[in-house]
Amino acid sequence: MILVQEVIHQIYFVMAGLIAVVLLTRLFRRKTRPGLAYDIVYAYAIIPFILRALHIK
Amino acid sequence: MSSSVNSDPGAGKAGTGGRTLVVRRVGLLAAALVLMVVGTKDIRALRVYRETVVVSNALTAQVPLSAYFDGIRGTLMDAPVYVFDSGVPGGSVLILGGAHPYEPASPVMAYVVMENITVTRGRVFVIARANMSAASQGMLGNAYPPFFRVKTPWGEKQYRIGDRETSPLEQWPDPFTFVHYPSTQNLAYQDSRNLNRTFPGRADGNLTERTSFAISEMIRREKIDLTIDVHEASMGYPVVSTFVCHQRAEEMCMMAAMMLSAEQFPMKTETSPKSLRGLTHREIGDFTGSFAVLMESPEPFIDKFVGPMTEELMLTGRDEFMQIAADRGLLYAEYDMKTGATLDYRVGRHLGGAAEVIKQMGEFYPAKKIGVTWPTYAEVMEKGIGYFLHDPAKADRRRVFLN
Repeated sequence: MILVQEVIHQIYFVMAGLIAVVLLTRLFRRKTRPGLAYDIVYAYAIIPFILRALHIK
Repeated sequence: MSSSVNSDPGAGKAGTGGRTLVVRRVGLLAAALVLMVVGTKDIRALRVYRETVVVSNALTAQVPLSAYFDGIRGTLMDAPVYVFDSGVPGGSVLILGGAHPYEPASPVMAYVVMENITVTRGRVFVIARANMSAASQGMLGNAYPPFFRVKTPWGEKQYRIGDRETSPLEQWPDPFTFVHYPSTQNLAYQDSRNLNRTFPGRADGNLTERTSFAISEMIRREKIDLTIDVHEASMGYPVVSTFVCHQRAEEMCMMAAMMLSAEQFPMKTETSPKSLRGLTHREIGDFTGSFAVLMESPEPFIDKFVGPMTEELMLTGRDEFMQIAADRGLLYAEYDMKTGATLDYRVGRHLGGAAEVIKQMGEFYPAKKIGVTWPTYAEVMEKGIGYFLHDPAKADRRRVFLN
């Protein structure tokens, strides 16, 4: 039970890291919504996922 | 990277336009990262900060909580337990501080005890930070300052203001509904991370439940006679300035409240409701042999209707909106903005309240008498808690602990 909890918990951080990577990729490599506002949103939205993946917040 | 830019309709054609776009996006990413680093300075500081305590000469042992249950070893919940054993037969008491770190008079009371205690009979166990994970983060959305500082004759001592629940960094995900063990009562989802909703705990439960189990195991193995769980309450909450006691501790609590109200400060008492599950005053009383008592002091800082939640408000408890609520009879404790509810007052109440309950246990059960002293309510009100906190730089290194 504790092992399962731990695995699920670690998946949490892996998911956060993967989402950060996806956002980073989309910041530089996307086919729609190329404007400045979306660049800002993509750059800004990465922050919480990096913080979570790094066990900071 | 250039191929990705070329594939972007907004990037235009390859060349100067594409490079400009890449530079813009790299710049925005760098700005976001700078913002992240600067904006999380306090968050990172709170996560790694450790409080210093200069423990009195009465200390006989310091053991990790995992010594009683291995299931929390290596986690932030593996709190140090400080043991003050007189070597003389008598009763035993556990002072449990910091179950809810956003109620900081609780761990500060435990620190004042640890720094000044003398024990002539029986044993005293102190856990100052029962939920270190919750102490390592601020409360979401409340704009709390991360730390507050207590003035002492030799300088300032810094303590943390934390959250109420275990951090998701240590325990995730929350269930849709938290089913308390073993009662099966349904509680709010976030209570799965609330140390004072997970007692008596379970060995194969989530991290917070395992921590509760470790504390319950310690109480059972050490045959601790009295457990005092130290909290603070908002003044709009009915049990503020109150002992909440398991029915087995009812009489000693009533006597203690009467004595305190007559001689020191207003104190109420209430018997733990049998239908309110997961709290120390219910479950430790039901699942261990210990008398279970929870103490609440008045903390304006955590009321929802006060002004800015600043370090000053934490230390003084002075707030004009609280006064308006008091004038309209909306509070459950006396309040005057001129005096507020200072940290000295709240810590002093806890020191006096714990001493009186211990004394009453000895009156009702002479074999469980504990000979113990620490600063009194009157001394703290006169000199301030800073007077009783020692300078780690000048103390014997063997007495200095990072908690």
